Amino acid sequence: MPTQDEIEQAVRQKVIELANAMGTDASELTVDEIIPASGFIDSAALLELIAWFEACYGLAIPPADLTIDNLGSAALMAAYALRAPRRA
Amino acid sequence: MPTALHVPRINNNDDEVKLVSLKVAVGDVVRAGQVVAEVETDKAVIEVEASEPGHVLALRGAEGETVRVGAVLIWLGAQADETAPDDHPTSDTPATGTAAPTAKARDLLRRYGLQAGDVRASGARLSAQDVQQHADRLGLQPTDKEHAVAQPTAAPMPIEPGQLQPLRSDQRGMLATVLWHRDVAVPGYIELPYDPAPWDAYARDFGARHQLLLNPLLPLMAQALAALAASKPEINATLAGEQRHVYRQVNLGFTVQAGDVLYLAVLRDAGALDELSFSTRLIDLQRRAAGHQLSAAETQGSTIGFSSMARWKIGRHIPVLAPHTALMVAHATDPDGRAVLGATYDHRVLHGAAVAQVLRHISQPRPAR
Repeated sequence: MPTQDEIEQAVRQKVIELANAMGTDASELTVDEIIPASGFIDSAALLELIAWFEACYGLAIPPADLTIDNLGSAALMAAYALRAPRRA
Repeated sequence: MPTALHVPRINNNDDEVKLVSLKVAVGDVVRAGQVVAEVETDKAVIEVEASEPGHVLALRGAEGETVRVGAVLIWLGAQADETAPDDHPTSDTPATGTAAPTAKARDLLRRYGLQAGDVRASGARLSAQDVQQHADRLGLQPTDKEHAVAQPTAAPMPIEPGQLQPLRSDQRGMLATVLWHRDVAVPGYIELPYDPAPWDAYARDFGARHQLLLNPLLPLMAQALAALAASKPEINATLAGEQRHVYRQVNLGFTVQAGDVLYLAVLRDAGALDELSFSTRLIDLQRRAAGHQLSAAETQGSTIGFSSMARWKIGRHIPVLAPHTALMVAHATDPDGRAVLGATYDHRVLHGAAVAQVLRHISQPRPAR
């Protein structure tokens, strides 16, 4: 399992990639910035981010966990991945 | 007052399904949401859930039987000693034990609007010939339009050379949808410019209150449509032959673009859900669509639709109607911040004024819901 840092950076990169696809530059995104509030990606891209995140780290995120507290920033997402039980 | 659980529709083409399993017996107590039965076609198996808690009063089908979509499957009562109403048996083999229809016979029965029990079988199975002779004797006309597969009008083949590629299943589904829209429905379109600020504020507030990661704006607008359709069933209807078919529940179809594929994700019984349940379940469907993980049952059976192309920042779009629906609301915002709510509707079922009222109603949040 990768480290907190590694996951944070991977999430950042994915957000930048998704934003690029819609013509937006998200390179200023910090790991603590709340992603939906940043305006870099929209809801649909956020869904893709979550789908990628689940697949990448072997997670199955229940609907109730889709909160800002759990997954709002790259740092929070990394922490979530490290503490959530892994599923194949 | 007993409550009926009906045989659900799995897809647009099958009017009968097989009752694969019954998980309860008369006298059992069930919880709301408990799975009470499973039905299948060759395309999917779906679970039938109890819509509310209660006692099982009566079962109107047996495992292994073919049952008609929309027929009563199970009667539930608040008390164990309530009596289930009499109703027509769901099985298409009547109690006298006459023959089960062949597939061709079933097709003809549908086209003539007959039940298997109406026709006497000449042999061990009810044959297509039996049904045809019965129909001819009675001078019945087939009602082809709503059941025939819409054929593309014969088009000349392209002249310039190219490579032939078979269609993926989602592409075939899209083709069937657009052909139904063109060949069966009579589509009209109207749009209403509106001020998006009240909805934006409402959604932001709702999202903050529930700490939601994903913006609930579109789910909340779709929920408003579903709730409206539950209270105005005339917009949750389609045409079947010469009659209006008013759906018993609201199955909200919501468009999700997942890479190359455009899905219509279907949230069943959406009219019964409150804002939070609806939003949670729709977001869950959207996630699974994004991962190409929708089950067959989750892409079929919509009774009304909601489409958004807001992410592409185009000014308006005129969506296609899903088969057997009369209304598809189109949400878009343009780069200048102007917002337009449009709707494609089936002129055979709805008129423009009724659709305009729908758009006006959902153009603003109405918290008194």
